[in-house]
Amino acid sequence: MTLARWAGLVVALVVAAVAAIMVGTIHLTPRESIGALFGSGEANAVFVVRSLRLPRMMLAALIGAGLGTSGGALQGALRNPLAEPYLLGVSGGAAVGAVCAVSLHLTPALVPLAAAAGAVSAVVIALFVAHATHGRGDPRVLIMAGVVVGAFANAAIMVLLANADLSVVRGALWWMMGSAADASWSQVAWLAIYVTLGGGLLVAWGRTLDALSLGEDSAAGLGVDVERAARRIYLTASLVAAATVAAAGLVGFVGLVVPHIARRLGATGHRVVLVASALTGAFLVVAADLVARVALPPAELPLGAVTAILGVPFFLSTLRRLT
Amino acid sequence: MIEFSDVRVRYPRQQREALQGVSLSAPRAQITAVVGPNGSGKSTLVRTLLRRVDVAAGAITLDGVSITESSREAVARRVAIVTQREESAFPISVRDYVALGRLPHRGAWGRDTAQDRQAVDDALRWAEADSLRDRSVHQLSGGEWQRARFARALAQGGEAFVADEPTTFLDVAHEMTVFELLGRLARDGRAVLLVSHQLNLVARFADRLVLLHEGRVAAAGLVADVMRAEILERVYQWPVVVTRDPAVGAPALIPLRRGRGRGTTSD
Amino acid sequence: MRFAVPVILVLVACARGDTRDSVAAAADNRSFGVDDFQDTIKLSSIPKRIVSLNPTTTEVLFALGVGSRLVGRTQYDNWPDSARFVPNLGPGIRPNVEAVLAAKPDLVLLYASQDNRAAAERFHRAGIATAAFKVDRIEQFDRLTRLLGRLIGDSARGALVADTVKRTLDSVRIVTRALPRVTAVLPTWDQPLIVIGGGSFMSELVTIAGGRNVYDSVASPSPTVSIEDIVRRDPQVILVGPESAERVRAAQKWRAVRAAREGRLYIVDTALVLRPAVRLGEGAVSLARLLHPELARR
Repeated sequence: MTLARWAGLVVALVVAAVAAIMVGTIHLTPRESIGALFGSGEANAVFVVRSLRLPRMMLAALIGAGLGTSGGALQGALRNPLAEPYLLGVSGGAAVGAVCAVSLHLTPALVPLAAAAGAVSAVVIALFVAHATHGRGDPRVLIMAGVVVGAFANAAIMVLLANADLSVVRGALWWMMGSAADASWSQVAWLAIYVTLGGGLLVAWGRTLDALSLGEDSAAGLGVDVERAARRIYLTASLVAAATVAAAGLVGFVGLVVPHIARRLGATGHRVVLVASALTGAFLVVAADLVARVALPPAELPLGAVTAILGVPFFLSTLRRLT
Repeated sequence: MIEFSDVRVRYPRQQREALQGVSLSAPRAQITAVVGPNGSGKSTLVRTLLRRVDVAAGAITLDGVSITESSREAVARRVAIVTQREESAFPISVRDYVALGRLPHRGAWGRDTAQDRQAVDDALRWAEADSLRDRSVHQLSGGEWQRARFARALAQGGEAFVADEPTTFLDVAHEMTVFELLGRLARDGRAVLLVSHQLNLVARFADRLVLLHEGRVAAAGLVADVMRAEILERVYQWPVVVTRDPAVGAPALIPLRRGRGRGTTSD
Repeated sequence: MRFAVPVILVLVACARGDTRDSVAAAADNRSFGVDDFQDTIKLSSIPKRIVSLNPTTTEVLFALGVGSRLVGRTQYDNWPDSARFVPNLGPGIRPNVEAVLAAKPDLVLLYASQDNRAAAERFHRAGIATAAFKVDRIEQFDRLTRLLGRLIGDSARGALVADTVKRTLDSVRIVTRALPRVTAVLPTWDQPLIVIGGGSFMSELVTIAGGRNVYDSVASPSPTVSIEDIVRRDPQVILVGPESAERVRAAQKWRAVRAAREGRLYIVDTALVLRPAVRLGEGAVSLARLLHPELARR
């Protein structure tokens, strides 16, 4: 990717980040918002900028980076341009965990943990199902296993919600639509750890992904231990996705669309594609969160609803390129 | 250089072993061709080299060292394999695609060295794919893609070159180009192991022939020793005649029409 | 004797006319208008077996002294204490129709939510008198109390209960009239953040109690809002139920609200204030004490 394009990406991300701090329900002039960032100005403004907008913006950036990297890695390892971070049962498992927590009226702080536990369990089950059916790393078997786990999760959620309180249903639905509204610094901290560690590993495995994207036999011929490498990649990518889900619920389409945008910008080779996907994803989710906050005052749109709108132009353009 | 010793392979949930104690060797500076009917185990042989199937018994060695005792990358540095089919999931350039052949030399972290770049350039020239360098792999014709694939295997370097059915989908000119390239590689000192069902072309270029039948070696040795009508008829279950083409100087297999005599249209 | 037949005929005609009038008059007493589903409430006699699938109506019926006639309630009806002895028939939204029918009621009271239309239809078709009520605002509660009084054949008692509540509310209103308004926000749910809006009786209670809900201009009874919007409206106090109090105190995002930072978070007795019912008056009193602590001495 050319230097100009890299610079453009970084600039776009910075612009979106700054806008996310300056724009909101409370109107602040740019000077006031920058002042508030450094602690000066009206007390409410300072808190809004520092305790609300800043952590939210960072959480959104981390979510976008995590989902972008995870999606790019899964698309390469599964040789499928429509693969996305939630493929291996992450979204279904996380949703079951979260809905259980909401139904049991646990404190909201436990919901992310329950979601993460659900997501990890789902991935492990999917990998186990694929292994038990002698999938031997065949991506189609793995995708099917993910679909099976997802279908089971959906059924479980329907059973849980069928006779639940209205408030439980509303809480569950809201979680499933994704939101960065409750961003806290502790969330930002641990998500940063997961995304940098997991994302870093995936970027480091970029060359292996290049080999895998040629096919299992070809990758084996290049010296890759296909089964082990693929399993590592699926697990890491899914864990990164699970961490983002624990932080903010289900944010769809980002992991699917962003790697394609990165390639259109000229990124080749998975190391470059994954880094570019991280930056693009961060930009997209920060911008989407901004839209979610200001589109329909006094309410907020769910983040997942805004990113879902991304899917429309993406699929349309993919359709045009296919025909 | 590559030695299969009594190799047995059974696929899960299959009754019959795919390879039932196959022994063969592919020495340096020679083209060793493995031929046989469909299902005789030719591709399974290649897959054992790739370590994509488990070997139930026997050993596969490179200069005496079992491939399971070396790292996969070490094996890949010594043996380059062109598989039957390959498709890149993404539209990368031919140059980037060929550069992937350097992976076993660079590892996950290594940088692109001048040596790597030279190897890629040499490979593109050897495979006559230099003009394709900047094209996307998704926009190549069948023949062009095959040349690119060869280039990638050549960039991988090594002392052995394995090709599994490299001439499927190729026209006569491209077929000959591939075989001539294999010949050059052998003359260059590499051990060339070729799996093919193109008996007649193989007969012209191979130094040694191994005929597989239902997972066993039915015959092995010089081309003339293996290309015999009685052997081939037994293995292929089809009436054939083996002639020696004067223009070419190698045996040629001619399959007959069943139950109707010698198979010319006038019959 | 020549006039006997016509006289008798005239007398009979008049008599029949009288019967018809009295029947019509009696029928008038038994027409109760329409419920909140716009269905006519038809009750042919005083109900003796009432199923009340609405905590508000359950409370009112007990206040009207006819708790013993209840043969079914929802799982949420927990006041007064004697409501415990009324059989629990499950949820009030999408009720268990079979369980209700098994209780053989002659009157079913429902919550007027769209989800209950199907159930109301089933009860109508089964020939049971059914009435659905929405009680979001105080005047709806007032109307309901008086109507229930008439339904059970004791309009006087219904009027008494409604008037008592009204008097308490009015007296609170008078006491707080001269005091400065205290602005408040009443969050009821987190994720999504939901507050009490202008369409809810809670907002009215806050006004009566000498305060002003910062969201009283929003028509919905429970709108979803963003935290930044709450900061913008800058309420002076936060009124929450006991379970939510800890959460609001601890949450990072609430620190942006001045009232949270300055500790002006007051816990509302949700048992009193949760639904518009006979304790509205007490609810208003307790709110007034929260908003204007100086009144506590009275």
